Amino acid sequence: MSETKSTHALEVRGLVKKFGNRTVLNDISFNLKRGEILVIMGGSGCGKSTLLRHLIGVLKPNEGEIHVLGTDITKLDDDGLAKVRRRFAMMHQFGALLNSLTVGQNVALPLLESGNVSESIADLVVKLKLELVGLTGFEHLKPSEISGGMRKRVGMARALALDPELLFCDEPTSGLDPVMTAVIDQLTLDMVHKLGITAVVVTHDMTSAFRIANKMIMLFEGQIIAQGSPDEIRNNPDPRLQQFIKGEADGPIPLKLSRDDYIKRLLSVD
Amino acid sequence: MLLAYTSLTLRAFASIGRSLSGRSTLRVHATFVQMVNVGVNSLPTVGLACLFMGLVLAMQSAGQLAQLGATERVADLVSFAMLREIGPLITAVVVIGRSGSSITAELGTMKVSEEIEALEVMAIDPVRYLVVPRLLAMVIMMPCLTIIGEALGLFGGWLLGVNSLSLDPLLYITRSLQAVDLKDLYTGLFKSLVFGFLIGSIACTYGMEVRDGAEGVGRNTTRSVVSCLLAMLGMDAILTAIFFFAT
Ligand SMILES: Nc1ncnc2c1ncn2[C@@H]1O[C@H](COP(=O)(O)OP(=O)(O)O)[C@@H](O)[C@H]1O
Ligand SMILES: [Mg+2]
Repeated sequence: MSETKSTHALEVRGLVKKFGNRTVLNDISFNLKRGEILVIMGGSGCGKSTLLRHLIGVLKPNEGEIHVLGTDITKLDDDGLAKVRRRFAMMHQFGALLNSLTVGQNVALPLLESGNVSESIADLVVKLKLELVGLTGFEHLKPSEISGGMRKRVGMARALALDPELLFCDEPTSGLDPVMTAVIDQLTLDMVHKLGITAVVVTHDMTSAFRIANKMIMLFEGQIIAQGSPDEIRNNPDPRLQQFIKGEADGPIPLKLSRDDYIKRLLSVD
Repeated sequence: MLLAYTSLTLRAFASIGRSLSGRSTLRVHATFVQMVNVGVNSLPTVGLACLFMGLVLAMQSAGQLAQLGATERVADLVSFAMLREIGPLITAVVVIGRSGSSITAELGTMKVSEEIEALEVMAIDPVRYLVVPRLLAMVIMMPCLTIIGEALGLFGGWLLGVNSLSLDPLLYITRSLQAVDLKDLYTGLFKSLVFGFLIGSIACTYGMEVRDGAEGVGRNTTRSVVSCLLAMLGMDAILTAIFFFAT
């Protein structure tokens, strides 16, 4: 294990992932400095969540290296991976809360399981973190009793419970109202600027993306078609990128099949 | 599935080993919660099922034994069969249907809703957190349930013997006690302990291996019940051979 004292929180080299013979991620390479916010953009199904699941060690790539906080996690066993995982946290797309526990118990879970936090301290931290995401007083409800957007925010509170060095968020603001979106964005910014953590945020909300990003990556059909600072991305001439930023229906991103293809598909027998 | 089963079982043992050697903690409270789930809550069903089996055993044997003019031997037969075989068997069948299936469905649903993945990402070992408490609860509670089930089964036999066969209540009990020795009780309970381990480990494996959403949960729950039943009956044959046939 090479624990390099690099300034990069994240370094990905030549990541390739295939499900069967379908290549879902193709030659992904990027890196991220400590204390920065990386936004990964792209349409639904382009591989954003899959990329994130590689960064947190849930999926193993077919090829490539993934250095998280200075350690190549593709070469780690379960114990080594657990060691790295204690230093980062993930907010899942749908919260991924334990349904058998209350909201408060969910947020307390990583604290209590880390083994060196007493229950009274955990209680306090739970209140603080729920306050941060605007859910004071919801401790005793079950995840099934709150809305999808609230579950996400509980997921955020749980991710922040152990004050991670690196935070991954999968679509933290989709399904939230504009005010709550701004609150979560501000929270991400505060975490990074005040506590100096590093964040990786997947989103297809462009307002939110440009509000928080230091660095942006645009994924398209499993490939990075552009990466750079927000300004570089805004001024990138790639028509697919521009269509995505402006949110237009017409453009090079193929939504519909061409007329001929459509007729061919309809009449073809599989 | 056999590979997944072996690997999960080994991981569970490793996890218990780590807890015993003090390198991690056992989730004692969660284990008690599961003991209530799989054990205490199964008690009414197990009790009733065994009571019925006791009645049935007494009725079936009464006819046969009456022809030999030995109706009083109903007591021998009921206690003998109940302790050695019927008690552990009926208890296991009830627990498989009630608790084995629910363990698979619960873990499977957690798998599908990414809860297990979330645990792993929080560096919480799902085997230690979810599997070990369920497995331990099964192993501890099966013998407890079985012994209570057996008591009710014997009671069922006694009820029928005293009421319908006009046997002497006290003589029935004396005969029952004379018909069996401690080995019958021990081997029955040992069987139930092994059954508990099989049910717990198989149900957890099928739960953790769920793929493809809700459909997968349903599919694996069915498979889990079928596998538990077959494994339990197969193990019953093996253990019976070892205890009573080969020796
Ligand atoms: N476990 C899997 N097995 C097969 N295909 C998968 C799996 N996970 C994701 N995919 C495929 O990978 C592609 C990217 O999915 P995903 O990363 O979830 O997209 P999104 O960018 O919307 O988060 C999709 O086409 C999806 O069908
Ligand atoms: Mg996604």
